[in-house]
Formats: sequence, structure tokens, C-alpha cells
Amino acid sequence: MDALTEINRRTFLGRTSFGLGSIALGSLMKSEAASRAAPMGPHFHGKAKRVIFLCMAGGPSHLETFDFKPKLKEMDGKPMPVSFTKGQPIAQLQGKRLRCLGPQFEFHRHGKSGQEIAEIIPHIAGIADDIAIIRSMHTDQINHDPAHTVMNTGISISGRPSMGSWINYGLGSESSGLPGFVVLDSEGGRNPQPIASRQWGTGFLPSRFQGVQFFSKGDPVHYVKTPAGVSAAQQRGLVDAVRRLNQIRNQSVNNPEIETRIAQYELAFRMQTSVPELMDLSDEPQHILDMYGAKGADGSFAANCLLARRLAERGVRFIHLYHRGWDHHGDLVPYMKTCSRLCDGPCAALVTDLKQRGMLDDTLIVWGGEFGRTPMFQGKGKKPGRDHHMRAFSMWLAGGGIKGGVTYGATDDLGYFAVENKVHIRDLHATMLHLLGMNHERFTHKFQGLDYRLTGVEQARVLNEILV
Amino acid sequence: MLKRQFFCVFLLSYCCAAAQNTIQFNRHIRPILSDNCFKCHGPDGHQRKAKLRFDTEEGATAELKRGRAIVPGDPSKSLMMSRLTTTDTDKRMPPAETGKELTPAQIKLIRDWIKQGAKYQEHWAYVPPKVADTGADSLGEIDRLIRARLDSRGLKPSPEADRITLIRRLSFDLTGLPPSAKEVNDFVSDRSANAYEKLVDRLLRSQHYGERMAIYWLDLVRYADTVGYHGDQDHAISPYRDYVIRAFNDNMPFDRFTREQLAGDLLPDPTISQRVATGYNRVLQTSHEGGVQRKEYLAKYSADRVRNFVGVWLGATMGCAECHDHKYDPFTKKDFYSLAAFFADVDDNRTFRGTNSLPTRREPELRILSEDDVATLAKLEARQKQLKKKKLPKPGEEIQAEDLKNRGEVLKNIQAEIRRIKAKEERTMVTVAIKPREIRILKRGDWMDTSGEVVQPAVPHFLKSIETTGRATRLDLANWLTSPDNPLTARVFMNRLWYLFFGIGISKNLDDLGSQGEWPTHPQLIDNLAVRFMKSNWNIRQMVKMLVMTKTYKQSSLESPRLRELDPENRLFARQSRFRLPAEMIRDNVLAVSGLLNRNFGGKPARPYQPAGYYRPLNFPRRTYKSDTNKNQYRRGVYMHWQRQFLHPMLRAFDAPTREECTAQRPSSNTPLAALTTLNDPTFVEAARAFAARILDEGGSNVDDRIQWAWQEALSRPPSDAEEKVAVSLYRSNRAVYAKDAAAAGKLLKIGMAPVPSKIDRRELAAWTAVARAVFNLNESVTRN
Repeated sequence: MDALTEINRRTFLGRTSFGLGSIALGSLMKSEAASRAAPMGPHFHGKAKRVIFLCMAGGPSHLETFDFKPKLKEMDGKPMPVSFTKGQPIAQLQGKRLRCLGPQFEFHRHGKSGQEIAEIIPHIAGIADDIAIIRSMHTDQINHDPAHTVMNTGISISGRPSMGSWINYGLGSESSGLPGFVVLDSEGGRNPQPIASRQWGTGFLPSRFQGVQFFSKGDPVHYVKTPAGVSAAQQRGLVDAVRRLNQIRNQSVNNPEIETRIAQYELAFRMQTSVPELMDLSDEPQHILDMYGAKGADGSFAANCLLARRLAERGVRFIHLYHRGWDHHGDLVPYMKTCSRLCDGPCAALVTDLKQRGMLDDTLIVWGGEFGRTPMFQGKGKKPGRDHHMRAFSMWLAGGGIKGGVTYGATDDLGYFAVENKVHIRDLHATMLHLLGMNHERFTHKFQGLDYRLTGVEQARVLNEILV
Repeated sequence: MLKRQFFCVFLLSYCCAAAQNTIQFNRHIRPILSDNCFKCHGPDGHQRKAKLRFDTEEGATAELKRGRAIVPGDPSKSLMMSRLTTTDTDKRMPPAETGKELTPAQIKLIRDWIKQGAKYQEHWAYVPPKVADTGADSLGEIDRLIRARLDSRGLKPSPEADRITLIRRLSFDLTGLPPSAKEVNDFVSDRSANAYEKLVDRLLRSQHYGERMAIYWLDLVRYADTVGYHGDQDHAISPYRDYVIRAFNDNMPFDRFTREQLAGDLLPDPTISQRVATGYNRVLQTSHEGGVQRKEYLAKYSADRVRNFVGVWLGATMGCAECHDHKYDPFTKKDFYSLAAFFADVDDNRTFRGTNSLPTRREPELRILSEDDVATLAKLEARQKQLKKKKLPKPGEEIQAEDLKNRGEVLKNIQAEIRRIKAKEERTMVTVAIKPREIRILKRGDWMDTSGEVVQPAVPHFLKSIETTGRATRLDLANWLTSPDNPLTARVFMNRLWYLFFGIGISKNLDDLGSQGEWPTHPQLIDNLAVRFMKSNWNIRQMVKMLVMTKTYKQSSLESPRLRELDPENRLFARQSRFRLPAEMIRDNVLAVSGLLNRNFGGKPARPYQPAGYYRPLNFPRRTYKSDTNKNQYRRGVYMHWQRQFLHPMLRAFDAPTREECTAQRPSSNTPLAALTTLNDPTFVEAARAFAARILDEGGSNVDDRIQWAWQEALSRPPSDAEEKVAVSLYRSNRAVYAKDAAAAGKLLKIGMAPVPSKIDRRELAAWTAVARAVFNLNESVTRN
């Protein structure tokens, strides 16, 4: 029975869109609650309703942000002990002499909790009591593209659904005029990292759960603008005519797909107004714009953070921001300064703004890159830099059921390996799903005959230690 | 209502089992065990719990510490039954944490099966197919097998579809294009007995047949014009795409098609075309990211090739065996790496020297010219040689003497011509065999672990092995695939062919005919088709014709509410399926109807309009998309530039895959993004205004005639009165707007690069553009019925 339920549910879901899906999901979830094997719907009441993922693409250095290593400072300029690097994967430093590079910034304690954070990100330091820092992240991939793929889909093989798709698949969207998964990107810092649209792909889940990229230049969403020379009223008239023609035809062909298509055209028409309205920041008071450092929807990270709040307010389930400037193989200090100038304030503003609106409690914020950076020096550029590093990096989480003011896990003396309370990406995924009310082991989707899940086949655990 | 449907279908299949009085392991029991038990009690020896396995008879009936899980004939003594039914949640199987649970009906099935002796069967798809002689020709045979199943359910086939539907269906299915109004008219008025067959033959001979078939094949082999990872640079491969199209058009037998792609380079004196075919081994995702570790990426490429090979030809999913034995099917890790060893001779070394340029270079690449150009070039070069050599004209060669006088100039011209032709050279990645790399089993897929066993090329251990002296090659592998006792290749292909023409596979899971796949609805049919395919010498066109000539194919797709409720997915084929067209055909359809379609064959990837800035997230190098400003703008979808990381938004909106991995079945979504595309994408708006120009030019002189004509051209049928009313009112309201606002009309008509006919009334044209847009946005315009 379950297999058949699944087939029919999928046939049904596969054909409907995000808005309609949310209505359908409600009733489906009810009927499926009775079935233990049902892959859909929240398994229990989750604290978070949505996620804002602030991806610092390129891989920010943990050693210059959240993971202070005095020992590395002592070792500055000295050869990196072979005991660390022997047999380990190496990216651009292949075949190079490996020597230590000490932390480039001072660290201080912040907030009541006294979290240790680098001077280069003072605004994030200012919300130290709201965030849980994880210092013991590690991943499987050392190059950007596959490492992002692991971060988003749990595995480096292309073509699996991203976490935003999974979450929308599980919970549906609460927005009637916007997609449930929105992606925004910005640049600034070193040569921008390419980001593949695979990172917000839907894999084998129904296409309507795919992330939709919003743009600051041109049409904010592809083809959302009515063609030149056609007024909104004419477009309305056209959509109405299409609806009527479809209805007339349907009297003789009786095709349920037509009803769905009519609904999609209505949604499409609605998006033609809801999207531009979302992107228009003119209704934001000046002090809010100042708080983020935004000057209108100009594609900056600051503007994107403000848009993230607006998307959250409109019920978008998963909002993914990429800032593509964090790949600091050289000139680490100047580029960190640039990235901090562009990102530090807006990140803190977003947390603060959500908090003052009472939305932080049910919005989970995740901050981090796809990996960390080596304790070793790399000399690409005028000043020192660091290479890709997969054995350790830092992230922070806030809101949505996360305990503020805690630091979790630790790396070794040189920040090379995560050693205490190690956290793999799949543990992060399990924790995110848990906060959203889903048991990651039971949240599966059958594809090619196999039960897939975001956390894959390896053991994953929920980080209960950092939950409220 | 949904619930009732499942119940009906389930009951019906169960009743069938009961009617036959024997429960079959493959059909009824294996799916339950595979889904619920194999993960811990299946083929994967490393994960097996309690030393118990249910995938083999031996394992299931073995005497273990606590007794025997299955005692054939005696459910009460079978430990399995007590563990399935106990109320003790600690003991109950499957364990609660798996989220799996057997239904009472499934438990009863297992009990009855044990009572009947718990007979195991080899998995159906791993046993060579046998044809059951029905005493009928192949055609009647298909209909008979479909009919038998319907009879057992008390159902009748649907009546034959009307001729208009038939020609539209055939045109899209066989060429991916709509029929012209004239073609429809010819067919409808052709009263000869073989009118239908003549139509099928005409369409099968069309060069567009190959383009249509290629759309599907290119999804399988994950053909794309870019490398896929990181900077996603363009690579040189489009001649391989053209090879595939040509192979279908030339009706190349499938065994040869298989051989050339996998091992064309290993054939004696390979032709250029055979070498181009080996682009198959090179079209995987690669990376030019700085800091790529050679060994790591060789391992990635190797695994990618195995996944794709298995997906394309064996219809199995083997990706998991990169790290562990398959949990449901007998594929082991060793099988995975042994398959990888076949591809260990593919020269990947120079791939790592590729640069962040557009296109990037991924040697070995072949430089090729069209056959005509090769011939011309040969002539020119011969002439050049001759001219250079010749000192004195032979008697009677006056022209030669003339040449000699101006030898310098003539030579210069010839050389310029040679250069011009050589500039047309296209590059394409090909396979060159080098000394095979050593392939080891990688523990947990970890490329840094070099402690695993070294393996030699070998096919999966549970299938018939390749007999060869010395190291087996890719050519041996290709020959093994199409040897008569290979149980998978023909079944996999025919199941997919069936899906293309009936909307759903006989075994529904097109990616997997293994344990986690689905029991075929018509097992004898899939076997008969497979045998016929092999016996036809792998004649694809003959198989396609056989399928579309059946009564089953010709049925109407209109479904009665009862049939829909009884068989929502059309698994019984008591009707044809109706489905949304693939992305490429949605594009091709509007271009064809508008008259803009460029029907040229092959060549460089086409770049239609695309939203500015779409490639902004790409880098190394940064790039700006330049849409084609010549007729290449209007090429068929199959020729569109396939950017893996940022596939054209129109293709994405209609579910075309990014082609990073093998895709056997595209989803069919229905989203607002798709609606926005057909409403506002300049390609569609331009096609609408070009169609509007045709309406004004060819559709008669009054509004009614024009609407009639437009419907006939775009939908192959006249509008109903009610439809005509809606269209007229849409036209009038737009006409009124543009009468007052000529500037708006001007703006609309500027969309796209197609010229506006000078003698046409632009307000009129703009108003008709609205009507044309409405037609292109109808469900009917994107649906195959």
C-alpha cells in the first residue's frame, strides 16, 4: 500500500506548483500522518519555520574569524609539522613547501557569554550572545564546486536535491505569490567564486521545489516582466483568454492537467506583481536601510540581507544568500577587510532586525562557507593567503531554536583538524531538519528504487548541545 | 478518493495473484523484501545483521542461531512470521527506526507464499529473455498481450483516436515537430487502406526523426557543451551530438551504435565517424579548478563513467557500489571497480592541462570537416601540389598553360581557399587508448586509500562473464552488452522505447530493472520486445515502427472517469497517455508554426535569446552570453547550447535535465515559471508576432477566417464557436489598444530580430500577436495527446 500511496502522491505533487502545492500539502499531510512510512510533512513540532543561509562562498578562514590559535601565532613562518599534513589532501599547495601562517587579526571576548571572535568582524561580535559558534566543522571535498555540492546536497555527486528543495518538499511553501526557495548572490572581495545553479537544484524531487534565483539587474525573476508594448491590463486579458480557451477545450477532453495549468497561469500573473513589489525597497524606512547599509536593491550583500528579511516575512521557506568573495589564496588581510566591510554589518543587522520583529525565534540563520582555510601560508598575491582546507572550519547558527552565546567543538592547536565534538555537514543538515520538525532518518524520498535522504547513508546526529 | 484508487489497484493485482493461485516470488514477494528487509538482510555482506539474508533462498532458509527464518511450507515454524507480527516493538521487524512497516495484506502474502513452499526465483531482469510464441506476428502479439491483461480485468481498449490526433501524435513522437496544415489535410483525406502506414514511413524517413530520438539519447549519455564543474567552460563535443542524430537517421543497428560509442577507437581502421562516436567516453563532467588533485579527479571521472555506463546500457543504479556493496541488488564494490577498469585506458592525462579559456582545450581532440569539405580540400590540395610541381604544360593543356602564366596568383587563390575551408574545422573530444591505469578497489570510495585490491576489467559477477584471453577491453564490453545472452541491454532499451511512445514504461522505473525497480506490468511483453529487438539485428527503426503500428498505440487518450480512477497512471494501456511535451518540442513547435524554424542539420551549438546576466555567477573566465544574430537563432532545441551549470531558463522551466548525470525519465512539472516562459520569453513573443504576420498574410481577409486559419495551422483543427468568440474578443480589445497607441505596437513588434514585413499594418499585427500568444499558451500547444 505504501508504495502505491507514494506513487500517487508523487504523481499528484509532481504536477502542481509551489502555491497550489501548499494547499494540497496541507490535506495530504493530514492523510499521511496516519502512515508511519510517509516521507512527508513535519514529524513533530519544530521551532523553526524557515531558514536563511548566509553562504560565504570561497571558504572564509576560520583562523581569522572564530577559531583563535595562539600556538599557530608562535609557529608563524616555521615549517608546518609533517605530522599534520602527511597523506592529507592538498589543493593549490601541492608540491609547495608548507609553512605556518599565524592568525592575522586579534581576537577578543564578546558579550555576556564571552565568545572569542576576531576584530575583523565587529558587528557579528556584537551579536555574540545570539549565536552558536561551531568550531569543529569538517567536510569531504577540498575544491569549491564539489564542496558546495556537499554543503547543499550532502554528497559531492551532482544531481541530488539541495537542502532548500528538501525542506520545501517536506514542509511546503507558505507563500502564495513567491517560490518557497529563493537564491540571491553578491560579489566583492577576491575574484568571485562561480556558483553552479546545481546548488539550488531540485534533483529527483519535483521541479517546483527548485530554488529560484532573484536578480537585482534586469528582470528580478526570468520572464517575470510583461513584454514591451503590452500593458498589465492586456496581459491580464491574455491570461483570461487562455483560461477561457482552456476551459472550453476541457469540456471535451476532461484533462485534470488543464485545471492545474490554469492555476499556474494565475500564479504566474500574481508573481508579475508580487516579485517587483518584493524587490522595491522604497517602503523601508531610512533607519532600516542604514542598519543594513543598503542603498536600494542593488545586488549588494547588504541589500540581499534586507531582501532576505522581506522574503522571510512573505513566507518563503528557504532563503539562500551567496557572497562570492571569500577565496583568499593571497592578500588575505585586505580581502578579509573587503569582505567584512560588505558582509559583517548586514549579517548582524539581519539577526537584530528579525529579533526586533519577533521573527528570530522561528527563523534559523546559518552562516559559513563550503570549507575553511589552511593554517599554512600561501603566497598568491602581494600578501600572505591561505589555501582550501576541508579538515576544519567554523560556522555559526542563530535563532529558530538555537542556543545563543555558545561555542561548540574545537580544533587542534594549529587549527588543522577538528578534534572535539566534530561536526560533519550531515550533522548540520540533521540539526536543521530537526529544528524544522523533521526527523532526518525518516525524511526520505524514493528515487530509482532507493530511499534517499538529505543526510545520506552515514550516521548523522542532531547537535542537541546547541539547541535551546 | 485518492485512497480508493490505491486500494483498487492493489486489490486488483492481489486478486490476480490469487486467481493464479500461486504467489510468485519475483512479482509479489521480492518487492516487499527488497524494500523492507534487504538493507540489513540483503546482498551487502558488510552491513548484514544476524547473518541473515533474504535475497537468496539459501540464506533465508539457513539454520541460524535462533532457528530458521523461513521454513518452506510452514509459516508457523518460520521465525520471520513471528518477527513480522509480534507486538513486542523491540523485536518487531522491520525496526521502527527504519520508518518501514509491512501492511497486513503484505504480511498475509508472505505467509501464503511460505505456505506454498517459499519458492525463490532468479530476478526476472537477470535471466535472458525468452519469447513466448503466441503464434501471431509481432504486431498482433503486442496488442494480444495488452488485451489479455485488460480482459482479465474486465476492461476494454479505447477506440482508435481520430485522424487529427493521430497525425499530431505521430509527428511529435517521431519527429518532435507539429504537422503542417497541409500534412494534416492530406492525411485526413487519404482514404487508402495504408494511409496510416504511409504516414509512419514518411515521418520515419524524415531527418527530424534522428533529432527527436537524439533528445532522449543525449539525456542518457549526459551530453552537454560545457565541462560542468567550477568554471563550467565550453568544451568541444558538438560533432558527437551530430553523430548521434545521424546514427538514428541512418538507422544504425543498436549493437554497432553501442560499439562505436564505447570503443570506436578500438575498431580496425576506425573511420572519422567512429572516432567521433567515442566522444561518449569524454563527455562527462570535468574540472579545471585550480588546486584539483589529479588522483582525486581521476577517481571521480572513473566513477562517473561507471555510473553512466550502467545507467545507459544496464538500466541499473550502481552509484552506491562506489563505497559499499549494493544493498538491494547483487552488484558489489568489486563489480564497480572492475567495470571502471574497462575505462582505465581512456586518456585523461591531458584533461588536466585544460585552461580557463572559452572553449577550454581537452585533448585528445579530433579536428574534423564535413565530408564535402574534405572532398573539396583534397581536390584543392592535389591541384596545389600539381601546380607547384609542374614546369611545363603538356601538349594540349592550354588552360594549364594559362595557369602556369598566372601560377603565382592561382596558387594564392587556392591557398586562400584551403585556409577558408580549414577554418571551418570543428574540434571534438575523442577517446584515445593509452596504457591502462591501475584500478584498485577504493575503501569507502576514498581515493587516498591505496590498500585496496587491484582489479582487472570484468563485468558484474552475477552476469555471464566475458570470455577472452588477456585483458578485456571496452570493445569486449560493448560486444558483451549486445551478445544474445545478455539479459539487460535489450530489455532496458525496449522498455525505454515503449515509454517514449506510450508515456510510461512496462517496468515503470526506467533507471532500474533490478530489485528496487518495478515488476513489469506485462512481463511477457517486455521479454518479447527484447527478443524481437535482438532478432531484428538491433533495428531501432523497425522497433519504433512496430510500436506505433499497434492498435494499442493508436488508441484515443481520452480517459473515462472510471478508467482514470481504476488506472490513474495508465499501467494497463487501455488508452494512450497524454503528456506535456519535452522542453525542446515546446520550443520547436512555436518556431515551426511561426515559420521561423531553421531546419538545418547539425553544427555549432545554437544560442537563442537568454536573459542578460544569467551567467553572472560563472567565472574563470567571466562571460557574457551573446545570442545568435543569424538564422542559428531559430535552430531546434536539440541544438541549443547546453550549459550544465546554467541551462537555458526555458529548458529548465520545462524540465530538461542539466545532464550532469544519466537521465532516463524527465519529470513533467507544471509551474508558474513555465507559464512565465511561454508568456514572456522573447523567443515565444517573437514567434507569436511572426505567426501573426502569417495569419495576416495567409489567413484570409476577415477576422473569422483568420482565426479559423490560425487554429488550423497551430492546433490542426478549427476552433469551436465558443473558442472563436473568445479569440475575437481578445483580438478586438487589443486592436482597440493599439489603435490608440501606435508606440506600444511598435515596442511589441521590436521584440526579437525577425524583420516586420513592411507592407503590414503594424497595429493590426500587434493585435494579432496577442491572439497568437494566446494560442501558444494553450494547454493544447504543449501537450501530446
